[in-house]
Amino acid sequence: MGDVTYDLIIIGGGPAGLTAAIYGGRAKLRTLVINKGTVGGLVNTTREIVNYPGYGQISGSDLMKDFKKHADSFGVKFSRDEVVSVNFAQEDKIICTKKGQEYTAKAVIVACGSEPRLLNIPGEKRLQGSGVAYCATCDAEFFEGEDVVVVGSGDQAIEEGMYITKFARKVTVIVLHDEGVLDCNKMSGERAFQNRKMEFVWNSTIEEVLGEANVEGVKIKNLKTGHSTELPCQGVFFFVGMIPSTHFIKESGIGMDRRGYIPVNDLMETDLEGVYAVGDNRVKYLRQVVSAAGDGATAAVVAERYIEELNAFSTSVLKSDKKVLLLFFNALNNESLEFSTLLEETNQELSEPYKVVKVDTATKKNLAQKYDVKIVPSVVVLDRGREIKRLDYSMEKEKLKAQLR
Amino acid sequence: MSLEQLNANSFEKIIYDNEDSCLVIFSRKSCHVCKEVVPVLEELQPQYRDRVGFYYVDVEEDKNLSQRFSLKGVPQILFFKAGEYQAKLAGAVDEDEVIDKIAEVLES
Repeated sequence: MGDVTYDLIIIGGGPAGLTAAIYGGRAKLRTLVINKGTVGGLVNTTREIVNYPGYGQISGSDLMKDFKKHADSFGVKFSRDEVVSVNFAQEDKIICTKKGQEYTAKAVIVACGSEPRLLNIPGEKRLQGSGVAYCATCDAEFFEGEDVVVVGSGDQAIEEGMYITKFARKVTVIVLHDEGVLDCNKMSGERAFQNRKMEFVWNSTIEEVLGEANVEGVKIKNLKTGHSTELPCQGVFFFVGMIPSTHFIKESGIGMDRRGYIPVNDLMETDLEGVYAVGDNRVKYLRQVVSAAGDGATAAVVAERYIEELNAFSTSVLKSDKKVLLLFFNALNNESLEFSTLLEETNQELSEPYKVVKVDTATKKNLAQKYDVKIVPSVVVLDRGREIKRLDYSMEKEKLKAQLR
Repeated sequence: MSLEQLNANSFEKIIYDNEDSCLVIFSRKSCHVCKEVVPVLEELQPQYRDRVGFYYVDVEEDKNLSQRFSLKGVPQILFFKAGEYQAKLAGAVDEDEVIDKIAEVLES
């Protein structure tokens, strides 16, 4: 058993998580990446990446090995384990894993990515490995000279479909849209239309995978006419999109959209303090290695700052020998700036019985929330971290003095 | 500990001649799902020492073995007892599924 307390814990070891780890490690945060299976995430499934800057062409798993090596060089720790539950209600975030570990961290970055969506139609699960497949690299060879159906028309469906034509006799692509409309990029679409082994069935979806011990065919439903037809085949590959792998975190109260993606702001902050979401599991426009990496960098830098604030607050306020005047102000609010000056002056005239700590509510929302401060200026008086009273706001020095005596 | 790899000959001997209770994962190097499932078996293996054998077949090196069981994909874990094929698990299975299957078909 290793350490169980960290500054930063990153859930997920794909490009977003690994980049966050590189930044976290370099900032000398004690950083742990918890990753189920092989480090690299979904990128490992990509045979060829041609749009990651600086790498003309590289396989997904090789690129991820480089990311991992980079993170290792900054002293990041890795645990091959699966997070089963979390508690983000306190300042110390708690993470429980399948192997029975309980970790705590000051900040958590959720980078758990997404997983293939299942259609949940009859035969799909029962015939997995017996003709139903989700990975062309893994399984295309088993269909040498046979007829294969591909469901879906995104980048993955069309590109994997073309790869399967290297082995199969014929690949029939089942597409939801009208004739000629594919969801994939234009270049792949054009190449697919030119591929003589590729056939398309439009306006259709699959209702059932047929077969006893092995796949013998599929039942195709035409969405326009409602008619069903059967098409004999030996293999079915499903590429019907992804769903975020965020189910384990639902109970934490973190905000999610209907589909389970986590919305964040520009700083990758979720609606929970000290919890960030990056990469494919957040609401975003572009899901690529390069954008995932960008997310990871942002979140790690924001998390680092957050942790620094926590630590600074702990030493300068909670452990202070002197009583503390915690002044909440806003730099854009003149009244609160004037009050700030007055408060410092008054304290000096009383020969400094208090330590004045200023908190800008624009940048430190979490502190304002913690002390339930809704208006600026506000002053909370603390004695060794405990709140003893709040000052009534006044611009008259004598009234202020009276409260401080 | 890594899994012992079988070829056509050793497969014959261990499964059919010795009639060991065992599981065999059919896998290939370029399969990312296999790369997730193989470590799960490697970690489980010590718990079953002397009771259940854990083996590995590379479908590229031993094509005939995967054809014999008419496998249409990797990874697949095949379970054998008393020289007979019992059951299989396909795809991205986790530790619990393997433990349950061992209890169901090999240790019942």
